[in-house]
Amino acid sequence: MRISWKWLSEMVDLGKLAGPQALADLLTSRGLEVESIEPQSRGLEKVITAQILEKSQHPQADRLSVCMVTIGSGEPVQIVCGAQNMKAGDKVALAQPGANLPNGLKIEVSKIRGVQSNGMLCSEEELKFAEISDGILILPADAGLGVPLANTLGKDDVILTLKLTANRGDCLSHWGIAREVAAALSVQPKRPDVKLLDFTKTSPVAIELKAGDAAPQFFGCLIEGVRIGPSPDWLVKRLEALGSRSINNVVDASNLLMLELGHPTHAYDADKIHGNLIGVRAAREGEELPLLDGQTATLNGTELVIYDGERAVGLAGVMGGGNSEVAASTTRVFLECAEFDPVRVRRAAFRHQRRTEAAIRFEKGIDPGALPYVTSRLAQLITSLGGGKVVGAGAAIQPVRREPAGRKIVVEPGFFESFLGMKVSSDKAESVLKGLDCSIQKGAREWTVTPPSYRLDIASREDLSEEIARSLGYDQIAETIPELSSAPTSVSSSPSLSRQVLTERAKDILMQSGLNETLNFAFTSKSWLSRFGMSSSATLLNPLSEEHEALVPSLIPGLVKNTLETWNRHFGSESPAIRLFEIRPAFRFNGDGEASIRALDELRTGVDERWRIAVALSGARFAGGLSNEQGQCDFYDLKAVMESLLTGLGVRGVRIQGLSSGRTHPDPDMQAFRELLHPGKSAEVLVGKDVAGYFGLLHPGKSRELKAQAPLWLAELSWDVLAQLARPATEARPFQRWSEFPPMERDFALLVSEEVTADKITQLALKAGKPLAKGARIFDIYRGSQVPQGMTSVAVRVIFYEESRSLQESETEAASARILEAWKKELGAELRS
Amino acid sequence: MVEKLNAIGAGALKDVSAASTLEAIEQIRISVLGKKGALSEVLKTLGSVSAQERPVIGAAANEWKRKIEAALDERKSVLEKAQLDEQLKSERIDVSLPSRLPHRGSLHPVTQTFRRINQIFSRLGFDTATGPEVETEFLNFEAANIPADHPARDMQDTFFMGPGVVLRTHTTAVQMRAMRSQKWPVRILSPGAVYRSDSDATHSPMFHQVEGLWVDRDVKMSDLKGTLLFFAREMFGPEARIRLRPSYFPFVEPGAEVDVSCFLCRAKPSDSCRVCKGTGWLEILGAGMVHPRLFETAGYGDDYRKLGLSGFAFGMGVERIAMLLHGIPDLRLMFQSDVRFLKQF
Repeated sequence: MRISWKWLSEMVDLGKLAGPQALADLLTSRGLEVESIEPQSRGLEKVITAQILEKSQHPQADRLSVCMVTIGSGEPVQIVCGAQNMKAGDKVALAQPGANLPNGLKIEVSKIRGVQSNGMLCSEEELKFAEISDGILILPADAGLGVPLANTLGKDDVILTLKLTANRGDCLSHWGIAREVAAALSVQPKRPDVKLLDFTKTSPVAIELKAGDAAPQFFGCLIEGVRIGPSPDWLVKRLEALGSRSINNVVDASNLLMLELGHPTHAYDADKIHGNLIGVRAAREGEELPLLDGQTATLNGTELVIYDGERAVGLAGVMGGGNSEVAASTTRVFLECAEFDPVRVRRAAFRHQRRTEAAIRFEKGIDPGALPYVTSRLAQLITSLGGGKVVGAGAAIQPVRREPAGRKIVVEPGFFESFLGMKVSSDKAESVLKGLDCSIQKGAREWTVTPPSYRLDIASREDLSEEIARSLGYDQIAETIPELSSAPTSVSSSPSLSRQVLTERAKDILMQSGLNETLNFAFTSKSWLSRFGMSSSATLLNPLSEEHEALVPSLIPGLVKNTLETWNRHFGSESPAIRLFEIRPAFRFNGDGEASIRALDELRTGVDERWRIAVALSGARFAGGLSNEQGQCDFYDLKAVMESLLTGLGVRGVRIQGLSSGRTHPDPDMQAFRELLHPGKSAEVLVGKDVAGYFGLLHPGKSRELKAQAPLWLAELSWDVLAQLARPATEARPFQRWSEFPPMERDFALLVSEEVTADKITQLALKAGKPLAKGARIFDIYRGSQVPQGMTSVAVRVIFYEESRSLQESETEAASARILEAWKKELGAELRS
Repeated sequence: MVEKLNAIGAGALKDVSAASTLEAIEQIRISVLGKKGALSEVLKTLGSVSAQERPVIGAAANEWKRKIEAALDERKSVLEKAQLDEQLKSERIDVSLPSRLPHRGSLHPVTQTFRRINQIFSRLGFDTATGPEVETEFLNFEAANIPADHPARDMQDTFFMGPGVVLRTHTTAVQMRAMRSQKWPVRILSPGAVYRSDSDATHSPMFHQVEGLWVDRDVKMSDLKGTLLFFAREMFGPEARIRLRPSYFPFVEPGAEVDVSCFLCRAKPSDSCRVCKGTGWLEILGAGMVHPRLFETAGYGDDYRKLGLSGFAFGMGVERIAMLLHGIPDLRLMFQSDVRFLKQF
């Protein structure tokens, strides 16, 4: 909201303040934030009045003229000017060298087509007095010379722009701000003296209220003999300075009143009110109402309308009707000053996309106690601007408003000090509250405080505390550290805290694997998901764009997008390695069939959040090194990341194996990911019989389709499942003994069918070689011309030891024989000669 | 015979000192000391020598053997050293070639900032609590004293998922859940992703918040101030100061905007300060005393008054703090997954 320093100073003595900046600081310190201070003279500092002595044609340019101007003293100044509308003798606005005009133009001495110009004669456009203008500004003949233009034109006000919080509807006017400033400066504010009209008589236009509590009061007044015409200059300027546009004297009076007192009102052409009746009722469904802005609103029945004997004549609290507006021919004016339900006004304004200044004020609540004054003040303004005479006034008031406004707050005066943690004597509290127009009834121990009718936001003792704190200054509040009255929650007893610790641990492990954590938006486009055979069951009703319409069912589409974007950025011939990980929820709505998302109760939405760990890997294995040494990441690099994660977290009972054929994952989003993977170069992470996730190579078909530049290795695991199986956050990693006695090793060269996987060989060795065989490792494999088709040569090393003693050669031999026998029997392996 | 030994010995020592290769040394060792070497050959004839002479000759032979061996060893080590020196002259690697540097992993600045904030508040006794990102409108708004059709709804542009279901606009709902389940005392910090339908250089439709809530008997506004001052000093340095300005958030009363003194120019404003843009202060937090209506919607009934319960709450944007600390110029960088960005932290 914009506030005029000059206007404000008519309502409250600002003499105690050094200037607009001090006012801004004061308001901000009281919670009314001032965003900007704008002197109207900004940009006009070096613009002064001057008179053209002589105008002649520019010797080099037909469209330019050369003027000799005087500023009343000193030598005449030569100015080159492109406008045509001036003549010798005209008073004009001269921008002198050094001027920095409101439109951003900087004025310097210059040569224009060979002729020196010592400044510029300004147009209204350049001075930002008008959007466009034709020719330069010609000032009135009586303007003094050499005077700052701002003074000549009365642009000597300062406009403050306030960013008001939603609770302070009472400050949406100059009077509202004046009250605040007066309370802060301990002075009396003064509003215009008005003789109150008599509203106890029957209204000359009958007033009805048929909307219950939604329209509790309606004050009206009829003025006859009004002459509609342009507003006087001061009024036009005041409205324009505050961001409003002049229409005619009656409409301007209503707008000025709103800026003055904060109460929206409306003036009707009384001759267009049919049936000599006006009232407030709920709109009818489908009812049409022509509005002031020339469009017709179709109402749905939830709005409040103003009606006359025949039809709706206004959208209550939002905008007047086009069928009853004041026009040039109007002589009889009926004034409406009413109170409407904030919620009904707000909904109507949103529904009809007209958040007018009136609606903004009504939805925040107007002062229900001020209607007689406001109506009288409006009548005074209109009769002073347009003539005419008040012929009658009246009011309709619902029972709810016949009671005196009564939000009585009971509070012990000591509460303020103990609640705020600052020194507040009861005298101080009393003077602050009274300064804010609260009335106080003192009881033996308690006070009963009644806030003024305009402070709808004060309803509790905490609200009163805020008034006191902001009046005395938040800087007066002490700084204390609260005491713990109970022990903090222990991680070991809280699954939620334990899970958080594990999540951070997982991030650390992945970081140590040389991965970069990323964060993607939780939403993406449906079309992007469909590229991955995925669909979102959780979509937004009002997304910012299609790019943000669906919550992600998997983290994979995001990581793939990151990868493609990285490849598409320009890094020269070498794309950086992709090493991304993300731990975030994937979303799925669990409604059956046709069901759509809705709140199930106060706490549940039916949308599941399934936490995932996802990894994308591609490119060079090392950050440094020569190209031939680096190598490109492959399956075993990704497997290393997975194994580091699983062992680092101490996840129990997991197994990594190739994708089992013909098996589908019960979670459709996990299954969709499985189908994105190369069937032979991917693995599943098994937990018991369940699959916790998959990792492997992006399917070559998909890779081609997405124009991937390199093989992309992807992983997605259910973090919910893994976290369950991880070593609990508070459990220490157990120490593992090793043998002090030297191990014995036996190397075997086996010939096995290609079908036999490495883990079968090693597991069998450990099983058959029990208890001496403690480790088994594949250290080489070979397929090719030296071995028969369909076979693999595998080199295995088995390690034997006992923790408590040295082994005899014969013991190892016996164990080795058992192992070989088992390999032969169960895997069809043969020892290679 | 002794003369013969002396001649062999002297000749051998001369040969040793003249030897220039390790092979020559080995050759001398064999030709003199070997089984068929000159010295051995002489000693084989020892049987023909008289018993008196025998010890004398034996001692002389051993003496020569020792001398020759010592000479051989010495010469050998000299030659070996020379050979190594020669070898080292040709053995050079270019230490300036690139190392086989592993990839350096990184945590997102949001994660790192979360961790610092969590650590600071956990020292004061706050527990971390989390909750769903898809939230009921009731918990996100109504329970936080922001009823439908209230002007305060304008403060948070909301993504809706369905009737009564929103993407949470703040993590206040987590606090509401905690108050419902824990009753009191409540001391929680709720970090997490939040959503508002706004997107430009300073607004992101998804961003992260940390909110704090402390409910207990006789909690004062000075406790809020002290807590936030502790936070500011831990986060921004021991000289940090805070400034509270009255403001309005529907879930607190009194409410405040909290500024922290600029950690770069230390509140000695200069127009050129890249962090505070010359104001000396950074708007970082919103805070206040828990609005009594929250106790009511949390199911405390009227008990909170009888018990003397009160509380404070605060909230801050994590990206904003991360941007200030790291000097990140544009919020959007946080969510673009550009490796040049991610790798820096």
